Amino acid sequence: MTTTQIRRRVDPRAERAARTILTGQRPRLLRQPVVAAVNERRRDPRALRSAALVQSQPRPRYDWTRDATSPTTAATVGIAIAAAPMIPLKVIAEPAYLVIAMLDRPGGEIGEHDRQVIAAARLLADAGGGAVVTVCTGSGEALAEAGSDRHVALPNHWAEDYVPERRAAAASALMTALSPRHILFPDSPDGADVARRLAAAAGERLFTSVQSLGPDRATRQSAGGSLETAHRPTRLMTVAADAFAPLDGVRHEARPLDLETSSVAAEEVLPRLGGVRRLAVDPDALSLSETDFILSAGNGVTDWHSFADLGEALGATRAGSRVVCDAGHLPRERQVGASGTVVSARCYLAFGIAGAPQHLQGITGVRHVIAVNTDLHAEMIKRADLSVVADAQAVMPALIRLIRERRHD
Amino acid sequence: MTEAATTDIAVLLSIGRHPVSGRARRAATDAQALEMALSLRPQRLTAIHAGAAADAEALRDYLGMGLKRLTLLVLPEGSDPVEPLIAHLRRLAPSLVLTGRQAEDGEGSGMLPYLIARGLDAAVVPDVVRVGPADTSDATPGKSAIVQALPRGQRRALSVTGRFVATVHPSAASARASAFGPARRGVIEPVTVEATADLFLSECEHRPWRPKPRLMRVKRGGSALDRLKAATESKSGMGQLLVNPTAEAGALAIYDSLVEQGMLP
Ligand SMILES: Cc1cc2nc3c(=O)[nH]c(=O)nc-3n(C[C@H](O)[C@H](O)[C@H](O)COP(=O)(O)OP(=O)(O)OC[C@H]3O[C@@H](n4cnc5c(N)ncnc54)[C@H](O)[C@@H]3O)c2cc1C
Ligand SMILES: Nc1ncnc2c1ncn2[C@@H]1O[C@H](COP(=O)(O)O)[C@@H](O)[C@H]1O
Repeated sequence: MTTTQIRRRVDPRAERAARTILTGQRPRLLRQPVVAAVNERRRDPRALRSAALVQSQPRPRYDWTRDATSPTTAATVGIAIAAAPMIPLKVIAEPAYLVIAMLDRPGGEIGEHDRQVIAAARLLADAGGGAVVTVCTGSGEALAEAGSDRHVALPNHWAEDYVPERRAAAASALMTALSPRHILFPDSPDGADVARRLAAAAGERLFTSVQSLGPDRATRQSAGGSLETAHRPTRLMTVAADAFAPLDGVRHEARPLDLETSSVAAEEVLPRLGGVRRLAVDPDALSLSETDFILSAGNGVTDWHSFADLGEALGATRAGSRVVCDAGHLPRERQVGASGTVVSARCYLAFGIAGAPQHLQGITGVRHVIAVNTDLHAEMIKRADLSVVADAQAVMPALIRLIRERRHD
Repeated sequence: MTEAATTDIAVLLSIGRHPVSGRARRAATDAQALEMALSLRPQRLTAIHAGAAADAEALRDYLGMGLKRLTLLVLPEGSDPVEPLIAHLRRLAPSLVLTGRQAEDGEGSGMLPYLIARGLDAAVVPDVVRVGPADTSDATPGKSAIVQALPRGQRRALSVTGRFVATVHPSAASARASAFGPARRGVIEPVTVEATADLFLSECEHRPWRPKPRLMRVKRGGSALDRLKAATESKSGMGQLLVNPTAEAGALAIYDSLVEQGMLP
């Protein structure tokens, strides 16, 4: 047993005395992130207790749900504690070489896959003092936190338009202007498309869907997934989804590079693809795992006509809990949950669903949940971002009426 | 109009590999490309495979779909099929080339359609589910209408100028079954061509794929209890709660929330 293994002892009384503030009517405690100072694998009950202490007199009250390190706790006590240490800015002033990350930026935000591509680019750049140049529409602090040293902004209207030929031309112009050592793309439908266009135009070999990356070795899955193929990192590569962990706790410059020439060169390209428009798809023809917007019914729904009309009015895919599918109100492939489909929709509107664990497991990936239930204490109400405690049979027709009214205006 | 584009079609067919047994078979999206070509009823339909003569038996699966003949550009093992295919297609000059999305065997980088398009100076459209107008308003002279598949089941219509290469998406119409009789009767026409070896592929190192641990989004820091919670608990909303509102008020709150999420216009 060495001394290093022994936990640092704290003297709670001395600490408490040091933190006691004697201004005001009654002693109050200055709270510090005590928990972080000691070994984080150990639970320190005293620190937890003191972090949760709201008021010590006339009798102690505790709020165990509050996060000890969050700044809101300080605000409620009225004392500003020093902000969490800022992540130091990492500047690469004289990069030895450049690695470009061409991002998709779907829906106007830096997506998870984009962050992974930046992380992969950092692997290549950090190996020899290089810098990461991100290229996408728009800009923002999010890029700096994802690990970008330089940023080239593409014209903003490209975000809405489908212009793969222009994007490829811009990438090609950047390739000549910056002569980067590597260019990485996300292996998404659009990202990989642009990568292939660039590779064909530049006569370079594209190493697609990279799974692991080092300064002198990149690997990918080939032959239908049965082989692992390894090679030196090539100039152009696409990065597979979920192969690299996005960075956190870093801050880089994301300094804007002014390279108008690339987008000017791209605007000169005469695109052969045009007349682009989105087609309306029948929401009920989509599978549950694909769709973005789900209207779901549970045992609390009895008015199935309104439910069907509402689905149509909203343009949402209909689904249900197991009880509903067992009763034959909806086909089996429309069941959400552990024994049904695990959905990843952006919005989930639930009528009369209790929120059994088996059902909640199916909607863990949903971003926005709206629940209507007569029972205030239903689990679904707790899970939802907007909960309405009301009768589903009354709300459904009211919502249909509202949508039709607004549409006619 | 679309008519012009679909009178002369070439389909590029590669040999697929069953993911479990490893048996040679028709490649899934290539068969869908052939299905699409057959259903467009072109005046001339050319099906081409470039590869070693030894693989010819697996190509009979395509003949069984109702194809009378198939051109086999005979290449030595380990050579690059791109140059011979471009040379052959230049002579044929089809108005539309249909290919699969990614080969099931070999490198499977999905580069071939792009290189062919480059060689033929044609446009390339990925992930096509339908060639032909989505509705009647779409017909423009000199352009072909196309429907493309997007993630999450969405569809996009677009038009292409001139001849083009299209890669077929797995959600296009599924391929018909292959029948034994036509597969026997169909003719494979071998053509000897010049080819160069694929140096890049021989430089690569290959070994059997071993599944990797899945990347998990772990929250760092905090106590063990926090990390366990972050890994196992479902997110609970910190939402707005309306208790016993009138039906209209409840509906309005839901409506506003949906508009805010961009789910309703
Ligand atoms: C092995 C196993 C696997 C399972 N897998 C799944 C699965 O994959 N998916 C799944 O969904 N279930 C699954 N279940 C079943 C699950 O445990 C629940 O039984 C089921 O989800 C409950 O469905 P429910 O919420 O629709 O019905 P109930 O539990 O009956 O809840 C009905 C809710 O509606 C409310 N309500 C009643 N009247 C009204 C009204 N007029 N207006 C508004 N609200 C009203 C009630 O307050 C209640 O909260 C599984 C169970 C087991 C044992
Ligand atoms: N040797 C080949 N002969 C004919 N077509 C091919 C050949 N290799 C690939 N293709 C076509 O090109 C598509 C993409 O292939 P790849 O670029 O190898 O992933 C395939 O789906 C086929 O349609």
